[in-house]
Amino acid sequence: MFLLLRQLQRLRRQIALPPEERRGSLALRHVDTGSCNACEHELAATAGPHYDLQRHGLNIVASPRHADVLLVTGPVTRRMAGPLRTAFDAMPEPRLVAALGDCALGCGVLGSRAELAGPLEEILPVALRIPGCPPSPQAIADALLELLALHHGWTR
Amino acid sequence: MSGHATTSLHHGPPGAARRIDVEPARWRDAAREALDAGLRFSGLFGIEGAGGVMAAALFGRSGEERLLVCDPGPATIVPSLLGIVPAADWDEREAHDLYGISFSGHEPLRPLVHHSDDLDSWTVEVGGEDTHQVAVGPIHAGIIEPGHFRFHVVGERILHLDLRLFYSHRGLERAAEGREPADALRHAQRACGACAVANSVAFAHAWESAGGLWPDAELARARTTLLELERLYNHLGDISAVCAGVGFAPGTAAFAALKERALRLNRSLAGHRFLFDSVAVGASRLQVDESRARRAREELRELADESARAWRELRFAGSLQERLAGVGVVSREQALRHGAVGPAARACGVARDARTLSPRLAYGDFSPARPPSPTGDVAARVDMRAVELEQTLGLLDGLLGRAIEPARCEPLDSAAHGGDVGVGRIESPRGESVCVVSAHDGRVARMHLRSASYANWPLVAQAARGELLPEFPLINKSFELCYACCDR
Repeated sequence: MFLLLRQLQRLRRQIALPPEERRGSLALRHVDTGSCNACEHELAATAGPHYDLQRHGLNIVASPRHADVLLVTGPVTRRMAGPLRTAFDAMPEPRLVAALGDCALGCGVLGSRAELAGPLEEILPVALRIPGCPPSPQAIADALLELLALHHGWTR
Repeated sequence: MSGHATTSLHHGPPGAARRIDVEPARWRDAAREALDAGLRFSGLFGIEGAGGVMAAALFGRSGEERLLVCDPGPATIVPSLLGIVPAADWDEREAHDLYGISFSGHEPLRPLVHHSDDLDSWTVEVGGEDTHQVAVGPIHAGIIEPGHFRFHVVGERILHLDLRLFYSHRGLERAAEGREPADALRHAQRACGACAVANSVAFAHAWESAGGLWPDAELARARTTLLELERLYNHLGDISAVCAGVGFAPGTAAFAALKERALRLNRSLAGHRFLFDSVAVGASRLQVDESRARRAREELRELADESARAWRELRFAGSLQERLAGVGVVSREQALRHGAVGPAARACGVARDARTLSPRLAYGDFSPARPPSPTGDVAARVDMRAVELEQTLGLLDGLLGRAIEPARCEPLDSAAHGGDVGVGRIESPRGESVCVVSAHDGRVARMHLRSASYANWPLVAQAARGELLPEFPLINKSFELCYACCDR
């Protein structure tokens, strides 16, 4: 256990993440509407030691009731359109929707027309677009930090 | 499947399927004969042809693939195989939902892919004093794919679990129909980000088998390298996820960091962190020069050292190990009965691994890794990942011993190949992924992908039985199945 912690400490020194710049936070809720799971892997990586978005006040929260931002991945399948709307309706205002990855942006989506209800844009108002298939953790981190900056009226 | 000619190929190249047309009355017998011949059930699905809908069941092993095809007639009813092949449960429900085929003897034939508002139509009735249901999902608390779980519990004790997946059903198989092979391969690949290589190689093998193509040694090595790189980051991630499942943060972070390094290595070798678009039909998309191969091996050796060190720490972390042992047990009998695959099957002593017999790949005299103790619980499934991780790192060290050059497929003697149906069997990080492809005029007539997750999901529900509700995330993570390549 101590070895493990030392190993992590060494890693943190090596990565030398830039220091946190300011205060403020955004609570994020993720909804997968039929993604291939690559976006989920990359979003999860942003919480890992190499990116560690939590230290900027960017937290994934358990319920849309706690969330400022709805992070949506996937092309919006017919079966997920309902739960997606329910999650959005559950969010307190002010709230905004971020499209994470090319599928959520309606680009290059594969599948049968009959099984898809998307693109997301036609279902919910999209305020932030993070392109990529999947977007890298760095791209996700940059986009969310920019959003945080806008949200709190300061610039990075 | 699209043609009407029945081939009678017995000893063709691995992957070419022998199609046998069967009357509904002979359907069960034909399945039993296939099992008696030592073939394993590998999927059942509907096909839409000019003559209407037909049912197809694949039985096989490397070296022999038998595709039973049954025309159910205007009533679209065929006898259920459930009594002979319990693993066909989901397949029959799916064929009913998507192709309208009924299976006599499969009662009740609950919807699987179709989502009904009528709870009774898809859940099992559980009664008794104080029993109640806990509904979870399709949106979960973490960063997780969508699925709905309905736990029947007394207090915290799980009596039964009904799964409703297929929220990520995109109709990829239908969408691939009529497409050129390169385009259809993208559908197999994007079925799942975390099994992208396995599913695309399965498709490529199936297509190449149908067309009588054989990969040269360099192509076999390129694909094997990609498959093991995919396993590497998945297994590292799986160990991290299990630590997260019990709230053991140092383990979660250490293995998440190792996974990140593996993903960066993927990017430097293949240009994509998840190795997307690194597999093509009949050709290689992975070329690695001498110096990059050497650097990759150095990085892999560091990863091997660090993961071994971190794993040792986990082994001696009492608060972690205490949570893993004896939880979510799957017996060897259950695993065999329900056709479990991958690390989950090997963890209960079923030494099944599609890499063992894979002449189209560069595995040589591979033999499956053995678990330290085949107890079939969460601990055994996690241990299995660690053992396989070491094996994968060893394989990669050998595979990257020299540059990977441009490569391609060679045509086989045309008399030797079986016609229009091919099968690919690939050991993905989660177990065997089977792709069946039928070709017609150079295009895909039907593609069916039965991923390891599809085979193993019913086992997750069984492993949860009798356990406490808070153990479920842990049990689930010890399988770490994909929703996306199950749902397609």
